[in-house]
Amino acid sequence: MKKILALLLVLTMIFGLVACASTDTTSQNTDTADTAETTGDSTAETTGDETADDTTDEAAPTGDFKVAMICDSSISDGGWGMSCYNAMVDAAAEHGWTTEVSDSIDQSAYYDSIIAYCQLGFDLIYAPGNQYTDAVLQAAEEYPDVCFALLNGGEDTPGQAVNGNVTSLLPDATQVGWIAGALAGLMTETGTIAFIGGMELDTTKGKYEGYKEAAAYVGEQNGKTVTTLDCVYTNSFSASDKGIEFANAMMDNGADVFFGDASAVDSGARQAIDERNATNGSVTIYDIAQPSDLLGQNECIIGSQVTDNASLVGLCMTAVEDGTFGGEVIYGTMQNGALSAGAVSDLVPAEKQDLYQQYIQQMIDGTFMQ
Amino acid sequence: MDWTFVSNLILASVRMATPLIFLALAELYSQRAGLVHIGLEGLASIGSLVGFLVCLITGDPFLGVLAGAVVGIAVNMIYAFATIHLCAEQIVYGMAINIFAPALAAFIYRVYFGAGSELVQVKLMSTVAIPGLKDIPFIGPLLFDQTPMVYLAYALVIFTAIYFNKTKSGLNYKAVGEHPKAAATLGIPVIGIKYLASVICGALAGIGGAYLTTCYSTTYVDGNVAGRGFIALAAVIFGRWSAGGVVLACLFFGFCDALQIRLQVGSSGIPYQFFQMIPYVATVVVLALIGAKKAGPKAVGKPYRKEER
Repeated sequence: MKKILALLLVLTMIFGLVACASTDTTSQNTDTADTAETTGDSTAETTGDETADDTTDEAAPTGDFKVAMICDSSISDGGWGMSCYNAMVDAAAEHGWTTEVSDSIDQSAYYDSIIAYCQLGFDLIYAPGNQYTDAVLQAAEEYPDVCFALLNGGEDTPGQAVNGNVTSLLPDATQVGWIAGALAGLMTETGTIAFIGGMELDTTKGKYEGYKEAAAYVGEQNGKTVTTLDCVYTNSFSASDKGIEFANAMMDNGADVFFGDASAVDSGARQAIDERNATNGSVTIYDIAQPSDLLGQNECIIGSQVTDNASLVGLCMTAVEDGTFGGEVIYGTMQNGALSAGAVSDLVPAEKQDLYQQYIQQMIDGTFMQ
Repeated sequence: MDWTFVSNLILASVRMATPLIFLALAELYSQRAGLVHIGLEGLASIGSLVGFLVCLITGDPFLGVLAGAVVGIAVNMIYAFATIHLCAEQIVYGMAINIFAPALAAFIYRVYFGAGSELVQVKLMSTVAIPGLKDIPFIGPLLFDQTPMVYLAYALVIFTAIYFNKTKSGLNYKAVGEHPKAAATLGIPVIGIKYLASVICGALAGIGGAYLTTCYSTTYVDGNVAGRGFIALAAVIFGRWSAGGVVLACLFFGFCDALQIRLQVGSSGIPYQFFQMIPYVATVVVLALIGAKKAGPKAVGKPYRKEER
């Protein structure tokens, strides 16, 4: 009996492996045509418009190049994971690459997941988060022919890669925080706003600081004192229940505008905000989403900070195709169009929308808080 | 500290303790029949996904909970057959369930939704206030204006306490976990009770998982059980294998977690790690206070071979 059971288990495993072995070839077309500034070894400035034009001409999928993304949150989280995955898919569609993804992986599996894709012959590994730095650097040393793109990687990370095959994609965390903070400063009625972080990463801290200072500045400009509650961390990107509990606790402390950097945790926070608004009978507590335009996903979302990760990933793909990949820090800023503000909800009064757009323009012009 | 803080803290504790209560009762029923089950995490994971899917498809959270229970039973039958019929090592098969079931859940989710990245949300179970009781000052709104699943958890605790301590059937059940051979000589169907325990365990663990996606969070995310299966295991030991003790242990764990969240939010300048330590420090302190006296079923974890001397 045991032998039969063992045989059945083996057959199940084989069936599972076969069933899971399909590849996902992207076929979507996108029109990412934004810009991104490239600095680093080459200190070159590349425009996304050029990239898009170049690649559109060669858009027929060749299947020659393959990109794999690893992510510790789900790609269906309605936030970070979803946006980063869509960015890869959009860029791959533009370039005719094949994509694969491993999401919801544990920290202990970062390295193994990366290595698995390296051994499968993937050309580019896309790791959207600062937390993957160690695993990426280790794999990059062992697989010099594979290219690694680290979203939110450190400025010094490419220099630490002995084979020069790592590039950091670095959206300006402070500007990300500004975009959300300005809207929060305009919309808060209680004068208390909140931020929920997933893990204590440098980029998360940068977003929090930017959010806090922009909200205080905009509040002051509009005759309000705006206080940001201390940043809290859930130590997880998948614990949506923690998002619910933190948001409830923060609302009990008077917070009426939320921003976060915690993937599915943010979805939980939005659920709690929607429930509180429903109990109150009107939408008076708001959330600002990131890193893609999520207006309409939840009733409480009044705006989004948008990061054009697709153009940043697209630049990496171009470099891989050209054989020039590695050793760079590709910055994403409001000035080069990689960062922007998404659509604003009707819950934001027209005069506040106008003011918000003025602040956004100041950020682009470099005169914000000057 | 004001009453609003306290009442919101209690409310959060109840919310966070409810799935733990279902899981801990699942473990209690399993261990009382001599089956130590460390695979609750896996059972809850698959229950969570199936509950979510059925709730999404039918729009009925109650059907979601029912489906969670059914799939929990189905998956637990692997464990039951291997450990009861084949006398396999219970810890190993529990761990196998912990590896297999979450992976199966992730696989089903990906097959059903494809590689899409849209956030899928379901409508949660509504709360039902109990007339009269909900008007009790302070505790009324906290304890008696909840979802039916919370009331079910309370009811199961009371039923379990009475069943194990006041009924002949319950004493027979406990005898299987204490000394199965002696129980067999008295005509108690040891194998049957062990299978019954596995059915109850699978159902309750599946319900505990389904609670997360039908009553608590509108979304399903891989890993949303987040270690609750292991906390429930600890709660059974903590609660000295009694229904009352188990529910107190679950409330204690829920309270500690809710407290650290609220202190983290309300504090200023104190490192957040300090508050995140609270549940763990409290566990160590309470364990030290209650001592390490073994109170569990004597035959737990040991395979029962009918013909063995």
